[in-house]
Amino acid sequence: MGLDALLEAFLAVLNGGSFLYLMTGVLLGLTFGVIPGLGGTTALALLIPVTYTLNPLNAMYLAGGVMGATSFGGSISAILLNTPGTAPNAATTFDGYPLARQGKAGLAIGAAATASALGGLIGLFTLLLFIPVAREVVLSFGSSEFFLLTVLGLAAIAVSVKGKLLRGLIAACIGLLIAFTGANQFTGDTRFTGGIDYLWDGIPLVPALTGLFAISQMIELALKGGSVAEEGGTGEALKMKITGVGAGILSVFRHWTVLLRGSIIGTVIGAVPGLGGTVAAFLSYSSTAQTAKDRDTFGTGNIKGVIAPESANNAKDGGSLIPTVAFGIPGSAETAIFLAILVLHGMEPGPTILLQHEKEVYGLIVALTVSAVAASVIGLLLSRVLVLITRIDVNIVVPVVVLLSLTGVYVLEGRMADVLLAVAMGIFGYLMIRFDYPRLTLVIAFVLGETAERSFHQVRLISDGEVFGYMVGRPISIILMVAIVITFLLPTMRSVLGRRERMRG
Amino acid sequence: MKKLFATGLAAAALAASPALADFPEDGPISFVIPYSPGGGFDTIVRQFAPALGEAMGATVVPENISGAGGTRGAQSVFRADPDGYTIGIFNIPGFTVNEVLGRDQGFALSEVTWLANLAIARYALAVPASSDINSVEDLCAGDDPVKFSDTGATSTASVTTRIAMSIIGCDIIDVTGYSGSNDAMIAVISGEVDATIKPISSLAKYLEGSGSGDLKLILTLSAGELVEGVQNATDIGYPQLANFTLARVIGGPPGMPAEVVSALEEGLRAAGESEAVTSWAEGAGVDLEFMGAADTTAMMNELSTFYQQYADIVAVEQ
Repeated sequence: MGLDALLEAFLAVLNGGSFLYLMTGVLLGLTFGVIPGLGGTTALALLIPVTYTLNPLNAMYLAGGVMGATSFGGSISAILLNTPGTAPNAATTFDGYPLARQGKAGLAIGAAATASALGGLIGLFTLLLFIPVAREVVLSFGSSEFFLLTVLGLAAIAVSVKGKLLRGLIAACIGLLIAFTGANQFTGDTRFTGGIDYLWDGIPLVPALTGLFAISQMIELALKGGSVAEEGGTGEALKMKITGVGAGILSVFRHWTVLLRGSIIGTVIGAVPGLGGTVAAFLSYSSTAQTAKDRDTFGTGNIKGVIAPESANNAKDGGSLIPTVAFGIPGSAETAIFLAILVLHGMEPGPTILLQHEKEVYGLIVALTVSAVAASVIGLLLSRVLVLITRIDVNIVVPVVVLLSLTGVYVLEGRMADVLLAVAMGIFGYLMIRFDYPRLTLVIAFVLGETAERSFHQVRLISDGEVFGYMVGRPISIILMVAIVITFLLPTMRSVLGRRERMRG
Repeated sequence: MKKLFATGLAAAALAASPALADFPEDGPISFVIPYSPGGGFDTIVRQFAPALGEAMGATVVPENISGAGGTRGAQSVFRADPDGYTIGIFNIPGFTVNEVLGRDQGFALSEVTWLANLAIARYALAVPASSDINSVEDLCAGDDPVKFSDTGATSTASVTTRIAMSIIGCDIIDVTGYSGSNDAMIAVISGEVDATIKPISSLAKYLEGSGSGDLKLILTLSAGELVEGVQNATDIGYPQLANFTLARVIGGPPGMPAEVVSALEEGLRAAGESEAVTSWAEGAGVDLEFMGAADTTAMMNELSTFYQQYADIVAVEQ
């Protein structure tokens, strides 16, 4: 039944009106992706009231177009401005921006576009394969597995910060402190709120990330002056030409193992509610950087450092639909909004979602597929123009970006306090840049903290206090525990092996 | 004589404030939802808003003011002018429970002008369909505490679960922290916990006949039979369990004039009977149950008294 429905959905999308909605979604998604601080969640949240008047299928095309396009849009600003357009693109800045400064922005954008499109397609293909067993997959991931996945993410922080271990850990601890602000899920008491109502629901993700990634980078740029392309450039000016786009596209095929690994990590993390694209991209980047032979060149403009996070953060969309097709529950902020649109149209998503709302679900999958490819093609076509951003005087770039991203923060919930938070986080983020503390480490801990605490409490209650005994009774938990141990020991094992080889030599 | 005097007074009041007599012709009515778009509160308001506008001959604008567990939106309604142009949906009994716990929410439920109640959801206790447990007695027969699943400790379902099971005298552990009520129900299916208490309309999609057939009901928290063949609160000898419901209550700022209240009350009643709203409710499994201003106010007072008795169970320590 799946294939017929899929084919039907593909044909339906080619219908003129529907295609128009889809492409509108793609363009909106790209735009919201490129502008730092505005992401897919914001775009979709703003669209909800609009979709009220559309028929459900067109609403799906619009939403799917947006979802599929934002993460590639965000990689463009990550590469060109060192400012992730959306939070999941944060890991792309590590190698994307150095490439841009070496004049290889074309290479990076080409690779990002291809990795995004292919990662998205692999994620959706995996989803289609998993639809028959989606139920079992979701049921086998319980609180214990959620907890271990967050530990794996936190462990990866420790190995990802070469040479800056202490700073990385300090940043991660601050991230955890931020994550634990607000109402305690277990007692209902509030923590670290200082009597401020605003902090009841905890520190909201979007304004905090906008501050940490976008505002802080704009402060940095403004203080340096000049234009991005000249920044740090000496003598033979680092001209940002869009050349090597073709080579960038090919590089993804050359490093197909990186693409595949990123896509699988993205799909798995995507299927776990609450973790999201930022964690997926980070885990993909750090595992690629850890196991690569040329790991020393990561962070200085290694193309694999662009492919890994970009493939993961697009593949996560497919993964995040696994819980949706199985039980009608969201795997990500974006799928939550997709389900909200169904509810708004009087449908009640549940475990029978695929039987009752087959058209809408397949409509969304097709929209995501088309969007992943279309966004990359459009992005590549526009890349020659977009790269000019880096030549513009920062005195023009900075105010525009700051204004747009703060407006986006305000629009999401209509709270001025969110804007103040973004500004405060921006200043804090700038201090982190200035004193060389890794911001992504903070964000990863911030994102993981809540799920880690929550799922640990749950395991404790479910297992009657026998947490470890309960975990070793679950196959997937055992696999995750092994992965955590390997992640921890890998750097040590490598240095021991290295020493032994040197001694032999 | 007294009656005449009263009539005269009312007439004088009407004459003194001609603007009120014209309600709602002065502008759009803002309908505040204290949560982000997409949830249950948002959905019902967005369904009612156009029908309410049509019934009253005015524009009704749904406005999401989220934050601080819904209290920010409720505060903005509470502080608005009581002219009828700002009304809101309230999280009941969520806010009632907060008040019982002595939390400062920035508004007092007893001062809110209650306009109507739109829908009522009733709760039921569900276990895996494949289990041997067929009654509350079976469920609580073991030596170990029974494990339940919920979202947050302050969620209405969790408060309901803890109070209801303590009334029954059943030892439980309520595992909270699930991301949504669906995740909490899936925890029962996957066997992480033993049972869960949720609104029947939410459980329906997992039941035989109306859904996937993964869960079965063993008790409805209602006075009479609600689902064929399933025990209700009266059957097991605890009729007071029927007090646990999830309401969709509409209110406005303190001190709204009576004629504005009755205009809005009638508007909401007409909206609830409109074709658009009833057909939506049927598809989405929402039980529309209209109550006017007086009945809603009485219900709100009863709820406060009811939850007050269980203040010590509501406050959790884990």
